[in-house]
Amino acid sequence: MDYSNLRRQIISMKKSLFDQKRLLLRAKFLFTTKLIFFIFLPVLFLQGYLDEQFNQLEELQDDSSPNFVEEVVALFFKDSSRLLTNIEQALEKCPQDFYRLDSLVHQFKGSGSSIGALRMKNECSMFKAHCNERNLEGCRRSLQKMKREHATLKQKLETYFQVNSTL
Amino acid sequence: MAGAAVERKVIRVLLVEDEEIHRVLARALLKAVGGVVLDEAGNGAEAVRRVREAGAYDLILTDRQMPVMDGHEATRQIRDLGVTTPIVGLSSDCLDSDIDAFIKAGADDFTPKPLSKEKLNRILAKYNIA
Repeated sequence: MDYSNLRRQIISMKKSLFDQKRLLLRAKFLFTTKLIFFIFLPVLFLQGYLDEQFNQLEELQDDSSPNFVEEVVALFFKDSSRLLTNIEQALEKCPQDFYRLDSLVHQFKGSGSSIGALRMKNECSMFKAHCNERNLEGCRRSLQKMKREHATLKQKLETYFQVNSTL
Repeated sequence: MAGAAVERKVIRVLLVEDEEIHRVLARALLKAVGGVVLDEAGNGAEAVRRVREAGAYDLILTDRQMPVMDGHEATRQIRDLGVTTPIVGLSSDCLDSDIDAFIKAGADDFTPKPLSKEKLNRILAKYNIA
């Protein structure tokens, strides 16, 4: 019996099986990733994190600006982190300058609405209403909610862009 | 004339906006319209200077809240120069008081932020610009 030939055939079959297994795992990964990707964003819309404005950004993305959405979102999170810090500092000043607070939150709201950050926009409106009433405790509660919404949306969009980049 | 190319009109727009994110969005929207030459001013005072120096614009889009000079005052001063270019106020709030203040200052229209394709097309169609 030609054992060396048999051994070669077994090695070749093992390699082929291994390659097929690797291909299958890769296909499974891509399928799962695409599935996650295609339901991930609609879920953000359904949960009220994003509104139609996000779709506007996606429509503006093209071959000449292939990362437009991610760049605009990154710009928002850079600006908004700074604004949140400024709002927090302004709230802690005594006496509070509600005019300045309103102005800062106005900027934050406008910035958030540019990327379709619906929940944050709504919370900003609540904050402005509290400012109008000189309701410091209301402002503080709203700020905490704004920070939570901000952190959650940042995490979700980072995940979305990470998944997007693997496809 | 048969076979003659139709020359597309160039639209000169002045965007008065201090925040980069809004400028980035407006730039992309206006680029998508095509044929737009865009000038930008970071505040109302710069906008008035540009209008004085650069001549006629087809459209001025101005934010309300800006450092140095806000959109209301910039609109007033631009109108005082005798400029009749359509001026559209922009703001994240659409309180009646904001809209009234812009119109009283001499703006022709107001649109709430964020700017979108639909809002921009409505403005361009209203003033027969594109």
